[in-house]
Amino acid sequence: MRKELTRRHFLSLVGAAGGSTAILQTSLALGLLPETGPLALADLAPVGHAKKSVLVLGAGVSGLAVAYELERKGFDCTIIEASGRIGGRNLTLRSGDKVDEMGYAQVCEFDDEPHLYFNAGPARIPGHHKLVLHYCREFRIPLETYVNDNRNAYTHDDQAFDGKPVRIREYVTDARGFMSELLYKAVDRNLFDQPLSADDKERMLAFATTYGDLKDMGRYSGSDRAGYESGGFVEHGELKQMHQFTELLKSDFWRYRMHFTEGEDQAMPVMQPVGGMDNIVRAFVRNIRSPIHTNAQVQAIQLRPNGVDVVYNHKGERKKISGDWCFNCIPHHLLAGIYNNFSKAYRETLAAMERGHLLKIGLQMNQRFWERDGIYGGISWTSQPIEQIWYPTHGIHAEKGVMLGAYTFREEHGRFFERMTPEERIRSAIVQGEKIHADYGSYVDCGVSVPWARMNHMMGCNSRWSPDLRDSKFKLMQKPDGRHYIMGDQISYHSGWQEGAFASAHYAMADMNERILAESSGAMAKG
Amino acid sequence: MRVRAGKVLLCVTTLCCLAFVSLARAEDNPVIPPDEFVYCTVCHGVQMKGNPSIEAPRLSGMDTYYIERQLRSFGNGWRGTHENDTAGMEMRPMAAILSDEQIAAAARYVNAVSSEPPPATVEGDAKRGATLYAPCAACHGPKAEGVEALGGPPLAGLNDWYLVTQLANFIDGTRGSHPDDSYGQQMRAAAGVLADDAAIRDVVSYINTLQRR
Repeated sequence: MRKELTRRHFLSLVGAAGGSTAILQTSLALGLLPETGPLALADLAPVGHAKKSVLVLGAGVSGLAVAYELERKGFDCTIIEASGRIGGRNLTLRSGDKVDEMGYAQVCEFDDEPHLYFNAGPARIPGHHKLVLHYCREFRIPLETYVNDNRNAYTHDDQAFDGKPVRIREYVTDARGFMSELLYKAVDRNLFDQPLSADDKERMLAFATTYGDLKDMGRYSGSDRAGYESGGFVEHGELKQMHQFTELLKSDFWRYRMHFTEGEDQAMPVMQPVGGMDNIVRAFVRNIRSPIHTNAQVQAIQLRPNGVDVVYNHKGERKKISGDWCFNCIPHHLLAGIYNNFSKAYRETLAAMERGHLLKIGLQMNQRFWERDGIYGGISWTSQPIEQIWYPTHGIHAEKGVMLGAYTFREEHGRFFERMTPEERIRSAIVQGEKIHADYGSYVDCGVSVPWARMNHMMGCNSRWSPDLRDSKFKLMQKPDGRHYIMGDQISYHSGWQEGAFASAHYAMADMNERILAESSGAMAKG
Repeated sequence: MRVRAGKVLLCVTTLCCLAFVSLARAEDNPVIPPDEFVYCTVCHGVQMKGNPSIEAPRLSGMDTYYIERQLRSFGNGWRGTHENDTAGMEMRPMAAILSDEQIAAAARYVNAVSSEPPPATVEGDAKRGATLYAPCAACHGPKAEGVEALGGPPLAGLNDWYLVTQLANFIDGTRGSHPDDSYGQQMRAAAGVLADDAAIRDVVSYINTLQRR
C-alpha cells in the first residue's frame, strides 16, 4: 500500500517549503534539468549564379539578421523600414536622442557621457540566448555582466510592513526560514501520507535546517543572512529583527517577484553590451551591404505564385519592388492597416493576436545615492504602477547614473502611464519612487519615458498570444504564406526578447533554404 | 430579402476581391501623406483604410468639416479623456499638438484619400435596423451620407465595428458627456433610443446596406 516517495512528489514538497530556488537546486542535484539545446543557426546554401532577391520589411533585429545572413550567401537583399531609425525595439537612448512617441515627441536630455544611456527596449542577455550571443561574438561586441538580482535592493508593498520598503535580503531570509520550519515540523512529525525512510528523514531535516538557517531543533529565530542591524566588523553584530510571517504573506512579493530570477531568462548572470544594447544594431549596420531604406512605409504586400510585390512610400514617391522572397517583421497589429492578400487564416490570426503595453522610464540621477545604500545593480520591486526600479551596473562610483524608474509588466500599469503626458509620467514615477528611497525626486536631473504602445511605427510591445490561439495558430504563422514569411519575436515563444526575433528569423531562413534546395533538385531531375 | 441578398453579395465581393482590388486601388490612385501626417496612417492604415487590430477606424474621404471638428474635440478634451475610452485616449495627444493650419491640412489629406468600402463584420437584423434608423436620417441623411448643415457626419463608409463602439460610448456617456460638446450631447440623447446591444447591431447592420463612398 505504501508508495515510495517519488522524485516529483519530493520536488513538490521541497517547492512548497523552499520556493523555486529549492526546486532548482534539488533538480540540479537530481540531474533533472535538461541541457540547453544546440545553436539553431540556419545552415544556408549559397545561391550562386541563380541570384535570388529578398525583400526584408522592417529593420528590427530579425530583419537585420536576415539581410546579414542572406547577402553573404549571394541573395540580393533590400530592407524597407517605416521609421527613420534602424533597430526596431532595440533602442538605447542617449543625450539628444529623439523619442518618437505619437503626439509626444521627446528629446532625451541626459548628459553626454558614455555611461549615461538607457536601454528602453531589450536590456538583458542570458547565457542560453545563443543566437544573440553568437552575433555578439561574431561582431566582437564587448559584453559585461549585468546585475539582475540584488538582495540589498528593496521590496515595497503598500499592503505590508506599513508600506515601508524592506531589503529583499530580509524578506527572502525570513520567508525561507519560516517555510523551512514548517517543512522541518512536518517531516519530524511524519505528517506525510507516505513515510520517509529514516535516512531520507534525517537528510530532509538537515536540508530544511540548512535551507532556512534553522536553530534549536527546527525553529527559525532569525538569521545573519538577513544582515546586521549594527556592528559585525569590529563590534559584535546585532542581527536584524525578524519580520512577522503574516506580514510577509500580506506582501505580494512572493507571488512572482521573489522568484523572478529563478526563471532561465532572468537568472544571474545575465549580460549587456558595454555602452548600450544598440551596439548590436550598430554592428549589423556596419556589416550589412544591402540597402536599408528608412522612412519607407510599406503600403501594400502582394503575394504572387513565384514571389512577392511590395509597394512603399519613400521620399514623396510611391515605389514598387519585387522579390523572390519576403521576410516581414512589421508588427502584427499594423499589418491589417496595410493592403495585403494574405490567406484568410493568416489575416484572422493576425487580428486575434494582441499588442502589449510594456513601458519603461529612464531617470538620470545627479548622484548614485543607491550605491551609498549598499546597492550595486539589481532590481527593487513595488506594488505601485512603476513596478520596478533598476540600478545600473555600469558606471559604478561615477558621479551620475541613469536608472530605470519604471518597467510595467501589467497592462493596466502600462495604460496608467500611457494616458499621461511625458512630464506627468516622470512626476508620477518620482512620487512612487519616494516610497522606496527618501528624497528620490531631489536626485532626478531629467527623465524619459518609452511607452511602446504609443511609439510611432511600433504601437505595441510585446505580442500576446492567448494559449488557445498559440495552440491552434502558432504553427500556421510560422509557416510561410507563399514566399512570404512573418517573423520576429512576435512569431516566437520568446516575444519581447531578441533571441525570439533571431530564432524566428533563422527558422524562416532555414525553411526557405529547404524550399530552394527542393526546387533546384526538382529542376535538375527534370533537366 | 433584398437587403440580405445585397449584404451577401457585398461579403462575397469583399472576400474574393478585397486584396486584388485594393492593391490595384492603392497603386492606381495613391495620395502620399505629407511627412507630418505619415503617423496618421500608422494606426488608421494605408489611405486611412482603417485597422481594427488597433481600433483605428477607416476615415478615407471623410468630410473636412467633420474631421476638423473631431480633431478639435480630441484636442480640447471633449473626446479621449473618459477613463473607459482607451482608444480615444490613444488618439488625443496626436490631435492636441496640431495647429489650426495642421488641422485643416490633416482634414484635407483625409478627405483626399480613398479606399475600398470596409467589410461588413457586424451581424444584425437590418430590417429592424431600418426602422430604428428612421429618426437618425434627419441629421445623418437617408442614405447615411451625412448632413453638413446639421453637423451630422456620414456614417456609411465608417467601419461597422467602430459605429458599434461609438454608439455604445454615446449611450453610456463615454462620449458626448462634456458640457461644452453640444453635438456630442445631442448625439447622446439620440443614441438613447437604442435600447440594447441588439438594437445597436441592427441599426449598424442597416447602415452597412446603405450606399458606400
